[in-house]
Order: sequence, then C-alpha cells, then structure tokens
Amino acid sequence: MKKRVVCVLLAGAMVCSLLAGCGKKTGSDSTAGDDKTLSVTTTFAGEDGNAQNYKDAVAAFEKQEGVKINDSSATSDETFKARVETDFQAGSEPDVLFFFNGADANSFIEEGKVVSIDEIREEYPDYASNMNDDLIAPSLVDDKKYAVPVNGYWEGMFCNTEVLAAANVEVPGADYTWDQFLADCEKIKAAGYSPIAASLGEIPHYWWEYSIFNHTTPETHLEIPTSVDEGNGPAWVAGMEDIKALYEKGYFPENTLSAKDDETFALFTGGKAAFLIDGSWKVGGIAAACQSDAEDPSTLDKDKLDKFTVTYVPTNGERKATDLIGGLSMGYYISKKAWDDDAKRDAAVKFVEYMTTDDMVAKFAQHTASALKAAPEVDETQFNSLQVKAIDMMAGVTSLTGAAQDLFNGECRISTFDGMPQIVTGEVSAKDAVAEGLATYADQTAE
Amino acid sequence: MESSIYKKKRNLLVFLVPAFLFMAVFLYYPFLKNIWNSFQNISSLGAAGKGWNEPWYSNYVKMAGDKNLRTALFNTLIMMAVTIVGQVGIAVVLALMVDNIKRGGKFFRTVYFFPIVISATALGLMFNLIFLYDKGMVNQFLEMLGKTGLTDWKDSAHALIIMMIPVMWQYVGFYFVILITGLNNIPEDLYEVAAIDGATRWQRVRYITLPLLRNVICTCVVLAVTGALKVFDLPWVMFPKGMPLGKTWLTGTYMYYQAFNTKNVDYSSAIAVLIVVLGIVTSKIVNKVFKEAEY
Repeated sequence: MKKRVVCVLLAGAMVCSLLAGCGKKTGSDSTAGDDKTLSVTTTFAGEDGNAQNYKDAVAAFEKQEGVKINDSSATSDETFKARVETDFQAGSEPDVLFFFNGADANSFIEEGKVVSIDEIREEYPDYASNMNDDLIAPSLVDDKKYAVPVNGYWEGMFCNTEVLAAANVEVPGADYTWDQFLADCEKIKAAGYSPIAASLGEIPHYWWEYSIFNHTTPETHLEIPTSVDEGNGPAWVAGMEDIKALYEKGYFPENTLSAKDDETFALFTGGKAAFLIDGSWKVGGIAAACQSDAEDPSTLDKDKLDKFTVTYVPTNGERKATDLIGGLSMGYYISKKAWDDDAKRDAAVKFVEYMTTDDMVAKFAQHTASALKAAPEVDETQFNSLQVKAIDMMAGVTSLTGAAQDLFNGECRISTFDGMPQIVTGEVSAKDAVAEGLATYADQTAE
Repeated sequence: MESSIYKKKRNLLVFLVPAFLFMAVFLYYPFLKNIWNSFQNISSLGAAGKGWNEPWYSNYVKMAGDKNLRTALFNTLIMMAVTIVGQVGIAVVLALMVDNIKRGGKFFRTVYFFPIVISATALGLMFNLIFLYDKGMVNQFLEMLGKTGLTDWKDSAHALIIMMIPVMWQYVGFYFVILITGLNNIPEDLYEVAAIDGATRWQRVRYITLPLLRNVICTCVVLAVTGALKVFDLPWVMFPKGMPLGKTWLTGTYMYYQAFNTKNVDYSSAIAVLIVVLGIVTSKIVNKVFKEAEY
C-alpha cells in the first residue's frame, strides 16, 4: 500500500511538472498579480551609442514610477528582428518595443498586435504631442502611425585619419567623387593598408545601399524595381557591379568574405583600414573601442578618438556626396496586449511618454535628426570629438533618404545580401542575383 | 507481498503514461507537425500555413536542385567520417593508453572530459580568437616564428578543416569516458591468463580488449554518426551563414538558416525531415557494419 502511494505521488509529480509548462501565459515577463511590471525590448544595447543613455533612463523611470522594467534589448540585427517577429507570432510580445517602422513591422501591424498613436490619443490626448506628426512615418500596411520616434539615423563614411595620413590621403569632403575615392583607395592599398573595412560575407548592407543610391536619386531611390531592366533595375545591377569592381581591385580586406563584421570593424579601429561606411550608431561603437573599459565612458582615450572622423559618401552618379541615407526609421510601439491590460496600459503609455520627452529625445538624438516640434538647444560641450564631427557633417547634409532595404526585406534580400560573396567572386552575375531577389519580392508582394 | 507493483502491470501504466504523454506532446506531435509543415506554405516563424505548396511536394523537388543543400550533405558526410576517425578513433587510442597506466588515470579522465562541460558557443568564440585573421593566436605564433603576412584561416581553402577541428576536439572526451567504462568491465583475469600464456601487450589489446570492446565502440560510432547530422552551435558561431561562399554548410546549420534567416519555414521543415531520414538510414548502416557481437 505504501508503495502504491509513493507510486501515485511520483506519477502525480510528473504530470504536474508536465502541465506546469502548459499554463496560460499572462504576460511575457510579468507575474500574476504584479501590475507594476513592463516588458520592454529595444535596440539600445551592445555598441549602440545610446545604450548607456537608455539604461540610465530606464533606471530613472523605475525609480520615479515604481514600475519594474523587464528589459530584453539587443543589438539591432536580423536575429533581433526575427526574435521580435517570433515573439509576436507566439503571443509573447513585449508590452513596449522600440522597433523599425518599415516593412519589418508589417507582420504584427497586419495582425493588429500594436496600437496606433491616434487610438492612444483618444484616451491620452497628450500622447506624443511634442512630436511633429508629419515627420512620424506611417505604416506601409494601413498608412496609420504607430511608432513614436526618438532618434533618427544617418549612414556616413567614417575615416581613420591616421591611416589616411600614412597613405598621404586627404580626409574626403563634401564634393568627394567616385574617381577620387578610387584614386585614394589605390594610394591606401599601395601604402599597405586595407582601403575599406567591410565584411561582405556578413554585413554588406551599407555598401549595398549606397552602391545602388549612387545610380539613383533621392527622389527615386525608394522605388523598388519590377525587373532588372525597368525603373531602378539597371541601377541596382550597376551598384552590385561597383562593389564587385572594388573587390576585384583588392580594396576590401583580404578576409572580407570570411570575416565577421566585428573583425573588419576591429581592422578599422586598429589602424589597418581607412574607410568604414556605417550608421550613426557606430559613433558610439568607435568611442567604445577607444575606451579601456567599453562600459565606462570615463576611460575614453581622447587622443585615440581624435584620429577618427566621419564624412560624406563618394558619389558615382546624380546623387550628391552630401545626399545621405537616413531618417527616422524606428520608434516606440505599444502592444495591443499591454493596451488591453488595464494594469499595464497606463504604465506603458507613461513609459513611452517618459522616453520621448523633449529633453530625452535631444539626449538620444545627439547628432541625428528627431521629430520634435521644438528641439531644445544642444550643449556640445558634453559630446566627444567624434560626436561633434558628426554634428558638423550633418550640418552640410543636403538630403536624407530612407533605405531601400527597409522596404525590400526578408527572403528577397538573400540573393544580394547573403549572396554578395558569390556576386563579387563572379560565381553569380549581378544581374541574375538582382533578378532573383526582385522575383522573390514580386512573389511576396503578390501574396 | 514481494514486489506486488511489478506483478500487477496495471500499476506500471501510472508511470508509463505520463512519460508517454511527455514524449507525445514534446517530440512526436512536433515531429508529425513538422512533416505536415514541409508541405505547407509558411513564410514566417510561428505563423500559420497559407495553404498547401504548389505542388504540395515542391520543397522536396527544390531540395534535389539546391546547391547549398548538396554542399551541406557532402560536408555532413565528411563530418561523419571525421567523427568516426577523429572522435571515436582518438578516444579508443586515448582510452587504451590511459587504461594501461598505473597512476594518473583519474586525472586524464577529467582532463579529456573537460571540453564537454564547456558550452559550444563559448568554444566557438574561443576558436574564433585562436584563428582570428588579425591578432589571432595562430597568426601571432607564426609571426613569432618569422612568417611574414597574415593567413586567413577561415577562407575557402581552410574553412572546413578549421570548423571540424574544434568539433572533433570537444567530443573526444565524451567517447573516451564511455570507452574507459567499457574497458573497466573487461575481467582482469583474462589479461592475467593471456600474460601467463606469453601474450605481448599488443596481442592482449588485439585479441582481448578490442573484441570485448566492440559493442561499446559500435554504440559510440552510432552516437557519433547521428550526432554529426545534428552539429549546429559551434559551426554556426564560427561560420554563420555557411561563410565563406557557402563552403561550410552542414545540414543543421542550413536548416537553421532557412528557418531563422530566410524565414522559409516550410523548406526548413523539409530539411528537418531529411535529417531525420538520414539519421535513421545512417544509424541502420552503422549497426549493420558494426553488427553487435555476442561473446
């Protein structure tokens, strides 16, 4: 009898442990009865220049409102995007997320899993009232506005001036042409350095964007071609051919096809490569690389950071060098799940409002654009030398155009992003790779 | 009164049913669902299928012409050979040597087993640093020896071997421990008798140890071969997306890439089915080749 009791108890324990994982999830990270918790995910992490600002702001908000933030921020990459999308599909989305406002957000907007700004304003009339609504990007799905922007972005060309000096090359200016760029690359290569730091095997994104932009205009750049022979189609092919030509001339690092992005970035910061095309977030990454403790800005080696600057991207067509890729591509969303939860609705709104006050946006935006109606004066004395150079560069920008890859996302990118090594080595022709991507895009948009 | 629990078989069900339910919910249902998914059109993770593929078996047709999948299968075959020779083979040699030393056996067991307890991701990052192009350990060492210029150890010419070295190295200890346990089960009397009969040390290994260890080796080979089909984490950390130029695809990494990077979930499911089929076929072949012997 005793054995039978033990047997039943053990079996019961097994069943209970089995069923423990099948309970209804009441919120991604909240516990029952705990209405002072918000789950938040953003891209303010890793090398992002605002990672520390975000941590400070979250800590201050927690203290002020008594709300615990369960933060799952991560570096902005394809893995992050996939995770967010999967979370939404699985019903474990965060309460608040700072995410892209382009095609990447289409899936959860189509399913009505986030709340529009207008809907929130019906109950909270002052929500995002400090923003210029004309600058808030509407969704590609229903033309409604969902994401409250904070800081914009730009993509420019960072230079290691120490390498340029060693190769006797001037820091490029606002009228930098493609021919000048090629001549400079040749000099840099002859001096024993890699002219361009880029991992074509992992992150060809920036070169992909600008190489196409060089053959389009700010007005036409965001038009996705229907075929390689129509609209921007020939420009896309020409862009890929340009990257191939640079590769063949040996202007990328020897290991550009096998190295990861952080390895080629290390070549740049380590004084072995001259140019790096990347986003505004890399200002923070370069500063972190100049700190003895990447987490502690007080350990910054100012002399080392002074050797870096940022400038315009050479042009190879109608685009001016000062026409850059950039804009306000991300913003804060509130999930429908949090909105429908009375215990979380107010906290979620308060969090977004806290993170998008004028002062907070100015702090985050730094050298990038913002959507504020009245941006406060920026105190440049609090910025490091690279941030100041970025502000100077931005003062000369003639236009900011969104990235075509934000519209051309998912499987259609594979043939020209992951397939870039095959393009530059000639295994696949640029025309075939572009045609394959466009065909996939046509299939996606037809569904 | 003795063990009434075993006489009344009905009571065993109390234990067996929950375990079966666990397996059914977390293994068999997902497996069957995965087969179903491989015929559906699913464009993102967690999303419901948008209906049948056109034709429904299109993913399997696509697999036949997929160059990357061919590379993955070929590399996985190489990985199987490497695991048999490099993991089980080296483990046998190490086990025999450690079994023949009088002191320090426990020390070597710990030393060889240690890599198993380190996460594959951490090992991948470590080997990345070892083979790093600029300031990597190997290149710095070669520089010290007078070599000029850096070698890209992760380029097309070296990538496959560089990927397999850490995979091989990590699991040697696992098979080593299994084999050592097998060696301990061989009665000492047999060796004593053989020694009295004048058998040399090699003859004792050849005619006593290896035949009696055959079944254990067979089990190790089956584990190694089926494990090679699933290798994922370490290669993915060192060579994501089949870098460089798609030369390092394995069935596991390619399946992951299709699911998480291209979001081609149905095609990824079809590759998963292929991996299971290959696993069954190869383990059958291995069992046939290394047929267990009874002594």
